[in-house]
Amino acid sequence: MMEEQVDSAFSFEGSWRDYAPIAFTNLLLTIVTLGFYRFWATTRTRRYLWSRTRFIDDRLEWTGTGKELFFGFLMVILLLFLPLFILQFGAQALAMRGMPGVAGLLGTVSVFAIFYLVGVARFRALRYRLGRTYWHGIRGGSDNDGFGYGWSYVWKNIVGMIPLYLLMPRAMMSLWNERWNQMSFGPHRFHSQGDWHETFKRFLLLYLLPVMAVPIAMIVSSSMMSGQPVMGGIFVMIALAILFVYVGIPLIMLAFYAKFFRVGVGGLSLSTLDFQFSARTKDWLKLFLGDIALVLFTLGIGLIFLQYRHWKFFITHMEATGEIDLDSLTQSDTKMSKHGEGLLDALDVGAF
Amino acid sequence: MIETRVWHYDGRNANRWQPRLVGDKDRFRLIGEGWEAGPYRWTDLQALDMAGPDRVFGHAHEQGWRIGFAGEVPPELDALLPRQARYGGFIDRIGLGKASVVLACIAAAVIFIGIKAPGRIAPYVPQSWEDELGDAMVGDFGGRYCHTPEGDAALKALAAKMDPQNRARSIEVANIRMVNAIALPGRRIIIFTDLIEKAESPDEVAGVLGHELGHVEHRDTLTALMRQFGLSVILGGVDGSGGAQLNAMLGLTFSREAEHRADMVALDRMKAANISPLGTAQFFNRMDKPLWGDEDKKKAPKTNPKTEEAAKKVEQATNWFGSHPSSQSRYELFANAAQKGHAYQPALSPEQWDALKGMCASDRKVKSGWGFGF
Repeated sequence: MMEEQVDSAFSFEGSWRDYAPIAFTNLLLTIVTLGFYRFWATTRTRRYLWSRTRFIDDRLEWTGTGKELFFGFLMVILLLFLPLFILQFGAQALAMRGMPGVAGLLGTVSVFAIFYLVGVARFRALRYRLGRTYWHGIRGGSDNDGFGYGWSYVWKNIVGMIPLYLLMPRAMMSLWNERWNQMSFGPHRFHSQGDWHETFKRFLLLYLLPVMAVPIAMIVSSSMMSGQPVMGGIFVMIALAILFVYVGIPLIMLAFYAKFFRVGVGGLSLSTLDFQFSARTKDWLKLFLGDIALVLFTLGIGLIFLQYRHWKFFITHMEATGEIDLDSLTQSDTKMSKHGEGLLDALDVGAF
Repeated sequence: MIETRVWHYDGRNANRWQPRLVGDKDRFRLIGEGWEAGPYRWTDLQALDMAGPDRVFGHAHEQGWRIGFAGEVPPELDALLPRQARYGGFIDRIGLGKASVVLACIAAAVIFIGIKAPGRIAPYVPQSWEDELGDAMVGDFGGRYCHTPEGDAALKALAAKMDPQNRARSIEVANIRMVNAIALPGRRIIIFTDLIEKAESPDEVAGVLGHELGHVEHRDTLTALMRQFGLSVILGGVDGSGGAQLNAMLGLTFSREAEHRADMVALDRMKAANISPLGTAQFFNRMDKPLWGDEDKKKAPKTNPKTEEAAKKVEQATNWFGSHPSSQSRYELFANAAQKGHAYQPALSPEQWDALKGMCASDRKVKSGWGFGF
């Protein structure tokens, strides 16, 4: 029996100076191979990040390989993009012949196909990552192939969008729970019971924002009318509108997402372990402002450090309580997929 | 005889064992309190990249199986342990510097071949394949071709002069408001209606037609299609979002060399048909001027420079003259090709020219524009 005594079961022990040689050589090799090294680059980066991540008394281990990511990518090209390319080609040819109806139908079909596959990809990426993550010689995984999850992803998102997107938090949390409930580590299933109600208030702010913007705009414009020229008033209104779109909406989305992630991780448990995530909106804000500053001040080179920053952020805010029985934490008997997250890589969506 | 202490995960449960490792130069066993495992071969070990001072190894065939050496490893044991992979594969064998140079050379060669090879291969693609591809892509262009009896006759007369050997399968005027002309795959040439409208004489249209006939003759469209497809594959995956095929076709860039060769064909054909190249030269000259000339700028009210810039870009991208390189040098090429004092024939009679110009306006059945959100 090992009891959890320190403040946080997770800690990150890497340093960007140690990581820099990996990041720069990855960049170099990715350039000279026209991008094909990126699969091996991802693997090197993860090996570093995982091995500097301590959980209780030992570090994590990443056992994925560049080769399996590369084959995953090749399969996606063959099974997904070639058919889609042909579909697109067909739609174009039909449109040129003046059959926009059929062309539109073909286009819609391909949009739905991609939507479905994004769902499958999210599921499989999480499964792949758990399956390649070892701790004390034990790994995670899932026996579910994710094809059913793909359908859930489609219909829950669509239902969430119909009432003016109001049910999106519910759809997102339901999908989060559905995904995690299929995952396991060692012999134990994850249990995910995130409650979407807790995230809803912040989501509603999105709807409140335009309502609030109207009186503010009226106050501003009336005060402008009384003294200053009309041009100034219009300028202020435009500035407010820009502020609203580029600052207001992203801030609310960030606040919502911070809450969503806290509630989602907080609802997660594995056998006798309970997980928490401590990052608040201001932490996320600092992370992203830091990202932007890093990339701007290094003229883009900082991009290669973002993965490092995000992992560090993720681990330093992860917490776990409870105890682990090492004897009963036996090896996972889930199937191991042979191919990496090619689908996810190709569709460019995140795993969490 | 080798004997040392290691820590060990057996991959079956999460306990950390502290067995003794006992073996010879081929294989070893792990001996704990009340248990023994092995034998394992040294050659099955894989060096793992773990933080900290310990050297950690996995087993090629047993998942989760790990042994770790804390502290110094004796030299006779060190010789048996595998090295850790760094960059992977052959890069570790020949070194990062050498590997980068070799890979960069290969990359450059691949791109060079990607650009050059289509030009070499295209002539060997059976013409019938290209024709079928073109038909599949374009069809009847959605009924946007303009037809009137007089206009058709005029176009036919121009085609007979410029293309006596019938190299193009079809030459059509499309009711699309762009100053443009394109050679599509499958030996089809489409002249857009605004180009004819902007031309001041049939000689000017003849020059543009001659140029597109040059692309047909050299199979430049197929070359460009192959190049675009090939490069998109090489440079990381087919472009899945696709975008409009036609957009891409308008944006298909021929090499400067191909453009020049097409111009030479245009001049050849015009010479053979006894049409003056001066009209085409003037056309280049007129279209090369900035869209808002200085004269106009003084008269016109001030517009937002940004919108102006954007409009210019759109105009350039969809304009035959903007998408073709350097009108000035081409002006000189065509102007110098004119023989002084030679009695040239106009490309079309005034009646034919009027019929061609009015073809799209008089055709009541023709569809206009793109109709699919271009």
